Amino acid sequence: MAPLLLLLSLLLAPLALGEHTSNWAVLVSTSRFWFNYRHLANVLSLYRTVKRLGIPDSQIILMLPDDMACNPRNAFPGNVFNNADRALDLYGDNIEVDYRGYEVTVEAFIRLMTDRVSPDMPRSKRLLTDDRSNILVYMTGHGGNEFLKFQDAEEISAFDLADAFEQMWEKKRYHEMLFMIDTCQANTMYSKFYSPNILATGSSEIDQSSYSHHADNDVGVAVIDRYTYYNLEFLENEVRQPSSKLTMGDLFDSYDEDKIHSHPGVRYDLFAGGQTAARSRLVMDFFGNVQNVEVEGGVKRNETEWQDELRAIENMIAEAKKRHNESLHTSPQHASVIDEVKEQEAKRQVRREGAVKVDEEEGWSKQIIGAATLLGCAGAWLAASFLESV
Amino acid sequence: MSTPEGVDASSAPVTSSDGPGSSSTRHGAATSRRQPPPEPKDSLWLRRAVILSFWLVVVVLGLPVWWKTTAIYRAELPLQTMTDWADGKICKPVFPLRIAVEAPIAQQDAQHLVRTTQHALDDLNDFSAHHLRLMLLDPPLAPNASQQVVPDGSILEENDKENIALLVRLVSVETGTTPRSRLQPYSPTLDVYYTANQLPSPSSTGSPLATFIAHELHKIFAEEQARLAYLLSTTSGARTAKSKSLSAETAAELERQSTRALKYAPTYHLTFSLFSPTYLPSAWEIEEALQDYLSPLLDSFRSISNFTVDTQVQLYSTFSPSMRQPEYDDVLKAWTLRKEDLSGFINAAEWPLSPSIGAGPTVNFALYVPDQAQSPLLVKENGGNSWLVPQWGGIFILNPADAHEDSTPSFLAKDALAPAMHAFSDQLVSLLGLPQSPASLPLRLSTLTRVRAASLLFSASSTLGALARLYRALPSIPVPDMVAQSVDLTAAHLQHACDSLREGRFQGALEHARIAEGEAEKAFFERSMVGQVYFPDEHKVAVYLPLLGPVAVPLIMAGLKELKSMTGSIFPKRSP
Repeated sequence: MAPLLLLLSLLLAPLALGEHTSNWAVLVSTSRFWFNYRHLANVLSLYRTVKRLGIPDSQIILMLPDDMACNPRNAFPGNVFNNADRALDLYGDNIEVDYRGYEVTVEAFIRLMTDRVSPDMPRSKRLLTDDRSNILVYMTGHGGNEFLKFQDAEEISAFDLADAFEQMWEKKRYHEMLFMIDTCQANTMYSKFYSPNILATGSSEIDQSSYSHHADNDVGVAVIDRYTYYNLEFLENEVRQPSSKLTMGDLFDSYDEDKIHSHPGVRYDLFAGGQTAARSRLVMDFFGNVQNVEVEGGVKRNETEWQDELRAIENMIAEAKKRHNESLHTSPQHASVIDEVKEQEAKRQVRREGAVKVDEEEGWSKQIIGAATLLGCAGAWLAASFLESV
Repeated sequence: MSTPEGVDASSAPVTSSDGPGSSSTRHGAATSRRQPPPEPKDSLWLRRAVILSFWLVVVVLGLPVWWKTTAIYRAELPLQTMTDWADGKICKPVFPLRIAVEAPIAQQDAQHLVRTTQHALDDLNDFSAHHLRLMLLDPPLAPNASQQVVPDGSILEENDKENIALLVRLVSVETGTTPRSRLQPYSPTLDVYYTANQLPSPSSTGSPLATFIAHELHKIFAEEQARLAYLLSTTSGARTAKSKSLSAETAAELERQSTRALKYAPTYHLTFSLFSPTYLPSAWEIEEALQDYLSPLLDSFRSISNFTVDTQVQLYSTFSPSMRQPEYDDVLKAWTLRKEDLSGFINAAEWPLSPSIGAGPTVNFALYVPDQAQSPLLVKENGGNSWLVPQWGGIFILNPADAHEDSTPSFLAKDALAPAMHAFSDQLVSLLGLPQSPASLPLRLSTLTRVRAASLLFSASSTLGALARLYRALPSIPVPDMVAQSVDLTAAHLQHACDSLREGRFQGALEHARIAEGEAEKAFFERSMVGQVYFPDEHKVAVYLPLLGPVAVPLIMAGLKELKSMTGSIFPKRSP
């Protein structure tokens, strides 16, 4: 097997240093309700584009807080369009929404990014990235100075986002990240970032609104935002194939403030190598799933030799197993390690149960104490006013 | 309170607590208004008691409750130890490899040979952390038989045998070029053939045989040394153990290997998929093929990782619409794909790959059988039909043999799958990061064990460091006791792993490092360690003010007023 491997290694194409090996996309819409149709259309458009460029569904985390396709006010049930010409149904037959409805919360988002999820969370809903993964984070919704509203109930602040990204960086959960946000005062959202290798872009400056592009009179609401619309225009018209060599610089240069009606911003300073390095990154490094493949080929493999090898390995293993079985009771170290592990696991089990119980009790006792305090205060107040009246 | 009434308070026992406002009123309308009767003493004390009791409730009950309920619990972590682990101050991994020498010669001569060889070996070695130590085995029972093959290790203690990296067996021969060596491919044994006159004489300090053995050993472990040196140099700069400088090409090659190889996991999930653009072939003898061609390989990795396997057949699998379609090449007489399009070959949007099965990462192996109209399908640049996607898996295009001219076979037998299985097993070996030399598989596996143990050690240490930095940087994150326990366990197991490495028990080191890594991950990804949502200070004011303002204002005002009247009543008494 070794000569074959050697041959294999000689034939492998040389690769660039420090490359990424997987691409992930986190696409988040944060608003509910029919009149925010365009935010879902934004996200679904991006979803369609990254999927077209090769990121598999298992590596796309899609968060949709509302279901516009099945909204009773939708004149086109089951469809979502991002253009008044209604040429493209974004809600086709192959959509995998990972977080839906009330699952889309600030907590869920931060848990997703930092992977602090419960053990029963399915792998498809987790961001299983490592230090070789490029991540595209796209967010859209209603925001303001340093915050983005989630579902009319809560908001994520620029500080939370920055801390989450820092935790990702500490745990080596990304190689490079493109953060993209389309909301009012979007550029404030990335102003607090402090972790390296993040390229951030937003639709509008502080005290500036982001605007919708156009409305569909039959749908009855605006169908897409301007910033997203022109990003998509570039991605759909220029980046037609996974082999595209267009750079992020080309994308940023395509932004036309007259068309977007706000001042899109780009933040380069966190990126290793600064502006030039960031601008020279390919669009496909973030929106597609392109790796350097290693072609092996033209090699005539020696089948008989290989099969002989396999048989030899089989014999070797059979022998090793026999030896292992013989020495099973005489090899104390191995067994002791396992025992120790088991022991610790057992201890852990016991401990964990205890901890959970205590937590719950503490929760209840806290509530009881709180209620008692309130009652006590009220009682004291009543007593005092009673005494005063007397 | 220096009002006139204050002065003659000595004659009147109780003064009005209304202060200057009432005094001015009285001055203004001295005769027209009647004064309220002086407050009786007991009602005064009652009022004070009431106010005091309110304050007591607030201070004794309210404040602690507020403090307790809003405080974030942060378990104590041994931050300094954690940082030290991450900086490599606690453990400098060393790899002392024991090499047994078995020589059919007199004990004294053999010892002399081992000494001179060890000396030559130490001169060759420029990487202090990786150290080969020669040990002489007890002489075989029949030392006179010149070419007798002793069953390997039969005279070794069972315990020692586990930790012997390589057995050097000296065999005296009369024919052929000497000294020469042969590395056994399926056992960690190096046979060295020599003639009797090559043994070092007791007086000399060197001999061609000793130098030869030293060079052979050095060569065998060269790749392992390079890998470990690379690992040491890429993780945390504070390590002093690195002394070996790598050439640029070696470093680039190692970088490429590390890019290609999957991250270590205790369990990998292998998915074998058959994709076809038509309805054929609809069956394959995959189970038998895997049993015959793959399970020996997987078994040999069992001491390092476990594997689970599943297979699927996907018919009518078409290319992604955005991919450039294959073109016919007249020279190759085949349909060709360009190399730059290969990474888009997998139609990720529609081909169901990476199922969320199991806990481990998925390694994909895709077998693609092209349509008869597009067969054979090859890579344009080199005419190959398989390629590897780093950290993802491998792809093999199976062009059906020419015998089935008219249509694609509907069934792929085991023999037809053999080339694909061969390619997949090569790709798997490459993806798992098995080194390419030396030629002996057990030696390469033990190299992988050492490399994996070291890399796990580093990654667990760096996770500890990251956790310590986060603990300091983000004070708003709660840290439960579980985390502290896991951290302690991690540190303990790291220490065990480090000790095992030093003692040369590499399998034990891997086990400990694996546990340490698992615990470190558990500590870092503790569920409850999600930061409280950030509140700016104005938000806090906005929350507390409407709640506490209406309560606090009367409390504070009443308290102040009462204090004032008390000082007013006490102060004049003292002043004269």
